[in-house]
Formats: sequence, structure tokens, C-alpha cells
Amino acid sequence: MDSADTALARLIGARKRYGDTVALDGLDLEVRPGELLSVLGPNGAGKTTAIALLLGLQLPDAGEAKLFGRSPQDLNARRGVGVMMQEVMLPDALKVHELVSMTAAYYPTPLALAETITLAGIEKIAQRPYAKLSGGQKRQAQFALAICGRPRLLFLDEPTTGLDINARETMWATVRRLVRGGTSVVLTTHYIEEAEALADRVVVMAKGRRVAEGTVEEMRAIVVRKRVDCATSVALAAIEAWPEVSAATGTAGAVSITTTDAEAVVRRLLAADPGLRDLEVRRAGLSEAFAELTADKIPETPIEEAA
Amino acid sequence: MTALATNPVPPMPLGRVIGAYLSDAKYESLRLLRTPAFSVPILAMPILFYTFFGVILNGKGGEAVANQIFVGWTVYGVMGPGLFGFGILVAVERNQGLLTFKRALPMPTGSYLSAKLMMAYIFAIVVMAMLVTAGLTEGHITLGGVRLLELAAVMSLGVFPACAVGLFIGSYAPASSAAAFANITYLGMAFLSGLFFPISGVLKTIQPIWPTYHLAQLARASAGLPSQGSLVQHMAILAAITVVLTLMAARKLARRG
Repeated sequence: MDSADTALARLIGARKRYGDTVALDGLDLEVRPGELLSVLGPNGAGKTTAIALLLGLQLPDAGEAKLFGRSPQDLNARRGVGVMMQEVMLPDALKVHELVSMTAAYYPTPLALAETITLAGIEKIAQRPYAKLSGGQKRQAQFALAICGRPRLLFLDEPTTGLDINARETMWATVRRLVRGGTSVVLTTHYIEEAEALADRVVVMAKGRRVAEGTVEEMRAIVVRKRVDCATSVALAAIEAWPEVSAATGTAGAVSITTTDAEAVVRRLLAADPGLRDLEVRRAGLSEAFAELTADKIPETPIEEAA
Repeated sequence: MTALATNPVPPMPLGRVIGAYLSDAKYESLRLLRTPAFSVPILAMPILFYTFFGVILNGKGGEAVANQIFVGWTVYGVMGPGLFGFGILVAVERNQGLLTFKRALPMPTGSYLSAKLMMAYIFAIVVMAMLVTAGLTEGHITLGGVRLLELAAVMSLGVFPACAVGLFIGSYAPASSAAAFANITYLGMAFLSGLFFPISGVLKTIQPIWPTYHLAQLARASAGLPSQGSLVQHMAILAAITVVLTLMAARKLARRG
């Protein structure tokens, strides 16, 4: 079957500008059934705008946004969607279980309240007023609201910001479980390891365009660079001057080097510093791959933004 | 699982749609009841003011005065929930992103406003019930059951313009000053429309611009007290104010979200 027929959500040549700022510059994006799609990109890449178009919060200036083959502004389309947004204030006099019940009432076949509470791992905060929750607990409550409607498509915008490790693991486990159950997920995140841990497919955005797309493995393979970490007395400026080094960062003692020729760099390091310790060479993570992509295709984007 | 895409979402039965409206109204009322900044002025102030002016100070005023004071504070009390519920909350929620979140959810169209409208009704009923109880037991009012029902009917219409004024404030005022605008409007309308004591001079000339003035005339007529002007005209003006303010607010909300 043509992917256009099975895509749950699609942007086709979507353009959106705010005044002089181009937020989306002809973006094509599709979410396929059962996948976890991670959308990565520096601030201002257009990730949140892309999601706003798919949710019908805004209309594209040109191009098209489709949700389940319909307009995202169609209530019936949104009944298949769960949302966790970045900035949201909920009626904080209500208790968490009341917020879940209120949200679940919007959906045709929601989960039972107890099921949502268990699945989201919010047993301890369910009876508490939203106003009394910590930042991380609020994110957990918002996650419960996102999943309570048994959505076919779940939008998670930076979901684990402010969560402790346990809460993050719980949320990841639930997301994996939902995906196994057939839910599709669109995840935007700054935590590269989150995409590495969860995503089936990654779309990298920069300046309102898609600059790369593929599996996490494919993303890594796009860039052949490796990362060399070590503790050394060699000055950072000296390392940066070596021809094989594309970037070097670090503080006194601990250095991180990105290179296309790890062997040559290691040879130079060992020659220059017999006392070198903690040598580690690995393939660039998604973080480096991502920095590479956004930096290569869009030269104006500073690499640091990608970290 | 590819069948999901072609038949993604089961239809929402009408019962569940109605349920969503009712649930929104329930939680809107609940959250405001738990917010003292809202519930105390709305629920407690009218009965306190009425007890002070209508019961304590009006020991020897006679039944006509007693009824007059009672009707005045009833109009005041019934306007409160709509004016504050919409005025403050819409302004705050516009800023906080709650409206955006709710628009992303499959909340039924109109449920956001209908929940506030129903909340305003529920609170107005409670306020009026308290005033009637106080009036009958301590305030020496002489309105019979039929008169009180007529007054209640007029008051239930009065909730609409109150909500419209509130919605207008909430749509245009910044969140930080919406409460101040709502308070000034509330008290200003109450006093300048002659709700509690007669108005004269320039203020009397501009009296008809206040929705409370028209509502008060209808309330007085329904309670068998002397009133000014044509009842049909008062109703028409209240309806016009409600429609115009609602449309202006809707225009602003649609534009800014």
C-alpha cells in the first residue's frame, strides 16, 4: 500500500511564517502506523510549529496538514490524538484524577481511570491537587492526560524535561508498551538519548526544513566521524590545530575530540602525551550526527545548539 | 494494524458528547469552588452585604424598602459569577496556554464557554437561594412564592448579559489586570445603575448604558415593585448588549486563541 494511504498524520509542503521569520519552509513529514517518530532539531527549527499544524492549532500558509486523512481541525480527527505540550497550565485547583476524568470525557473510548493511573505510574499523586505537584510530577500528570483517551497517535513534546531518572524510565517503559500495542508516537526531544532509546525513525529539522531522515542507526552512519575522549596534558588549542580534528572541546585534563580519522588522532595523542589516560574511542552518537547534519546543510546553525 | 489508518477513530456517541459538556461544567464549578479568590467574593459578599444593609441597617424600613433592597442585592449577586467567572478566567487562561491545550484536545466545540456558562448558573442559583433564605427569615421581605419564581426567571436571564460582560473583559483585558477590570465594572455597574440608591444628574442620563439598570427594572417589575421604562425595551437592550459583547469577544478570541 502507498504510504500516503496509511500515514496517520502528514505535512505536505507545509509553509508557515510569523512576520519575517520563516518557521516552516516547505516541510514534508509523515507519521506511519505503529512507529515512534522522533523529531530532532535545534531551537527554532520548526518542530513545535510542525506539531501545531498537525494538531490544527494553526493553519499552514501553504501546503497541507492531514490527521487521519482529515483536516486536523476536524474534531473527529483529534479524537484519535493524545497530546503532551511543552508549556501548559492546567486548572490547578483540581486533583490529578479529576483532570484525567475531565480529559477522558472528550474521547470516544477512553481508558478506565484506574488503568490510566497505573499506566502513567501516577498512583502517588492521583489524589493530590495539581497545584501541589513538583515540576516533574506535573509532567507525569500531563502524560496521563495524553494517554487517557486511548489515542492512536500520541504527540509528546519534550516529555521528560524535569523528570527524575525513575520517572523517566517509567514514562519510557509506558511509551514502549503503547507502541507495542499499536499506538504511533511523535516525540520531540532535546535529549538525544531519548530518541536513541525509543525511536524507530528520526527526522532531523533545521530552519523549517527536513535535513535528514532515517533510523537512529542510519543517522549515525550518515556521519563517519568518531569521538575520542581522554584525559591529557596536551593543550586544547594544540589538538584543534591537528588536521584530522574537526572539533575539540573540554576543560583542563578531559578532552572530547570529533574526527574522521580516529587512529591518526590517537597516534598523535600518545606521541604527545605518554601520560595520557582514560582513552575512549567510539562512533559518534546521535548528538554528534545531528550536529553534523544541521551544521553541514545549514552552515549558519551553530553546532553548540544541537547539544 | 494498518487498518488503523483507514478507520482511525471510533465515532463519539451523542451520550458521550453530552457527557463531555456536563463533565466540563462540573469540573469548572468544582475548581472555582476551591478557589477562594473567586468563591468568597462571589458567594459570600452578596449575602454579607445584604445582611448588613437589608437586615441590620434596615430594621425599621418597612416592607417596600425591604423588598427593594432585597431585589437590588439579588441583581448584584446574580451578576457576579458570570462577570468574574468569564472576566478573570478567560483572561488568565488565554495567557496560560490552557486554551491552546484544550483546542488541541478533542474538546467539543463550545464546551469551554458552555462550562463557564453552566458554572455561572449554578453559582447564581446558590447565591439567589442564600439571599432568598436570608430575606425570608431575617430581611422581612414580603414577596410570595410566585413573585420569587418570577424574580428567579428574570435573574436566570440576567446571567447571560453578566457572562457577556465578563467574556468581553476576559477577551480584551490582560491577565494581570482582568480582576481589577472585573471588580471596577461590577461595582461601578451596581452603583451607577441605581441598584442600591437613586441616581441623579449626569449619571442618571447615562444610566441606561448599564446592563444592570435594565436587569434591575425587569427584576423590580417581576417583584411587583415600581420600575421605569418599557419592559420589552429593557429585554431588547439586554439581548443586544449580550450579542454585541459576545461577538466582539469571539472575534478577539478567534484571532488570538
